[in-house]
Amino acid sequence: MSTTAHSVVAPGRLSKSIAGAVVIIYALVTMIPLAWILLTSLKSPPDSISYPPKVIFEPTAEGYCNLFTTRSRQTDEYIESLGPPRGICDEITRKRNMVIVGESNYWPRFMNSLIIGFGSTVLAVFLGTLAAYGFSRFRVPLADDLLFFILSTRMMPPIAVAIPIYLMYRELGLSDTAMGMILLYTAVNVSLAVWLLKGFIDEIPREYEEAAMIDGYSRMQAFFKVVLPQATTGIAATAIFCLIFAWNEYAFAVLLTSGEAQTAPPFIPTIIGEGGQDWPAVAAGTTIFLVPILVFTILLRKQLLRGITFGAVRK
Amino acid sequence: MSVERNGKGTRSAWPGFLRRGPMEMLAMILIGLGFLMMFQPFAEILYTYSFVTLLTGTVMFIIVSKFPE
Amino acid sequence: MNERFSTTLEGTADAAARSTPPAVARRLRGLSDRAIAWIFISPTIILLLAINIFPLCWAIYLSFTNYRANRPNAEVKGVGLRNFERVLTDGDTWLAMQATAHFVFWTIVLQTLIGFTLAYLIDRKFRGHAFWTTVILIPMMLSPAVVGNFWRFLYQPQIGLFNYIVSFFTGVEPSSFQMLGDVTLAPWAIIIVDTWMWTPYVMLICLAGLRSIPDYIYEAAEVDRASPWRQFWSITIPMALPFIMLAVLFRGIENFKMFDMVVLLTGGGPGSTTELASITLKREAFESWRTGRASAFAIILFVAVFGLANIYVKALNRVKQR
Repeated sequence: MSTTAHSVVAPGRLSKSIAGAVVIIYALVTMIPLAWILLTSLKSPPDSISYPPKVIFEPTAEGYCNLFTTRSRQTDEYIESLGPPRGICDEITRKRNMVIVGESNYWPRFMNSLIIGFGSTVLAVFLGTLAAYGFSRFRVPLADDLLFFILSTRMMPPIAVAIPIYLMYRELGLSDTAMGMILLYTAVNVSLAVWLLKGFIDEIPREYEEAAMIDGYSRMQAFFKVVLPQATTGIAATAIFCLIFAWNEYAFAVLLTSGEAQTAPPFIPTIIGEGGQDWPAVAAGTTIFLVPILVFTILLRKQLLRGITFGAVRK
Repeated sequence: MSVERNGKGTRSAWPGFLRRGPMEMLAMILIGLGFLMMFQPFAEILYTYSFVTLLTGTVMFIIVSKFPE
Repeated sequence: MNERFSTTLEGTADAAARSTPPAVARRLRGLSDRAIAWIFISPTIILLLAINIFPLCWAIYLSFTNYRANRPNAEVKGVGLRNFERVLTDGDTWLAMQATAHFVFWTIVLQTLIGFTLAYLIDRKFRGHAFWTTVILIPMMLSPAVVGNFWRFLYQPQIGLFNYIVSFFTGVEPSSFQMLGDVTLAPWAIIIVDTWMWTPYVMLICLAGLRSIPDYIYEAAEVDRASPWRQFWSITIPMALPFIMLAVLFRGIENFKMFDMVVLLTGGGPGSTTELASITLKREAFESWRTGRASAFAIILFVAVFGLANIYVKALNRVKQR
């Protein structure tokens, strides 16, 4: 920002520093819970529930080990008879008088989140791009009403929609299948995709396609060879927003999936250890689950505003 | 998707009080009133009739958004 | 306009289109713009009809019956408007609405106040403001369920960080209060988490509003020797108001249907002090299995959200025209 051009309204030095200080303090305070998640994931279970809460502790991989394994308690003699531990998790587990008996469900649930997230994103963006182009370039009868209808589906309370969906999926055999969840998330995401992509496509000058069509392209060719390459950035931003929604969704997932197709959000709260919730394992699961979104948030910061206002606000 | 349409002269017979602006405002007031009735902690009778108010407001909003400006 | 273009093109188009297989090219070119428009739009509409509208109509039908999803073979009888009557005269549901109102009202008030203040401060453009804005935005992108679940740990008396921090600043014994176990504190516990998560959203939109105010207005006010206080109230607030409205409406809609974060944090308890509308609905539908009655309640919530959504879209278009 050049201060000369805005000299009349440019805030003074002092007010800038105060503003900066307040904002930075707020930012640091909001980061405390996230920092605590990361710290807890590195604690041992006794450290995690110590009173007062420990800020300084000896980091351990126990939370992560517990997250990915199932364990059972064994006698000392049995553990001694086993031979040298295989890997760090084995060692940590044996110190607690336990042995690893198998893998936990976290990884399959995480994979479900990935499959359902990416599947629904690809579908929603594909359908959304077509529809957005249709709304942007052609005179569609009742376009305003259709666009409102599309947006309003996004605003429905998930539980209200879940009741009939639950019955419908039960009839069709789609309950607890990845396919059912992908379809459902696609339907929810397509509304955001249409609104966002319509804004992006509106910004591509019509003249480009018209020039291409004068050069002998058909409308379809112009769409694929001229409009799509121009809209790549917009499509990428839309895709990440759709992915984040599907990744974070809980209400549908908890009601419509229970095993096979369960995603990570309903699973993480059910991670329990001996005598209650195993907080380091929960924190470890949460950390792994949040990292992709943190990366996307930083990548997306420029498009964020557009995405969360359905494309209405641009800056 | 600008929904402002220039309706002047097209339907001069349309009565003034049925124009879109004021009717939309009325519908919005009904929706707001419905919410207040649904949310207030004072009288159950108001809660009972909140849904009817909300429904009226919403349906009205959809209808009057088709009216000329 | 496009219609005209494509018809006049027919003659000149052939030469260049020869590169593609002629049959395909002819078939594609044969499509009128209107046909293409429908081919492009209809998959979306069909999907939404199948996954959203058909189930919705089914729910409307169910709301007039005594159907119970856990007894699919029992005889289904129409009960007229009785389900609606029951929901709308039920004291517990009314209480859930009041809990929702408390939650919606205070989250909006807090988020708007804090969010606008932050936006106003960030708009001072201090050094590094872009970086800190990004940091502030992080909570709202995270999964409310997963994060809400972890807040349950933060709120534990003694072992939780929240009580400890409060006691550090106020001197109150950390185990002397339970954010999630106390009937007066639990509603505030969920408000705090929601405010933590969603203030960034309000801030971001307010920031866009503040940045949309052209500098020359302030310059003119400066020439007129309007005090900063006066400038704030007669320029900044009115000009940013459409954006604030947008944020308030959207947060209102979202929190009206709030489910995931609260269900993991308190599960509606203690008692039913944090039992929001969506949680009551879930209980009716998937625990009591009164599907008909739950459908009626779902329709009521849906109409409410739909009404707000109408106003939201109106606000959206207003902001768009800026």
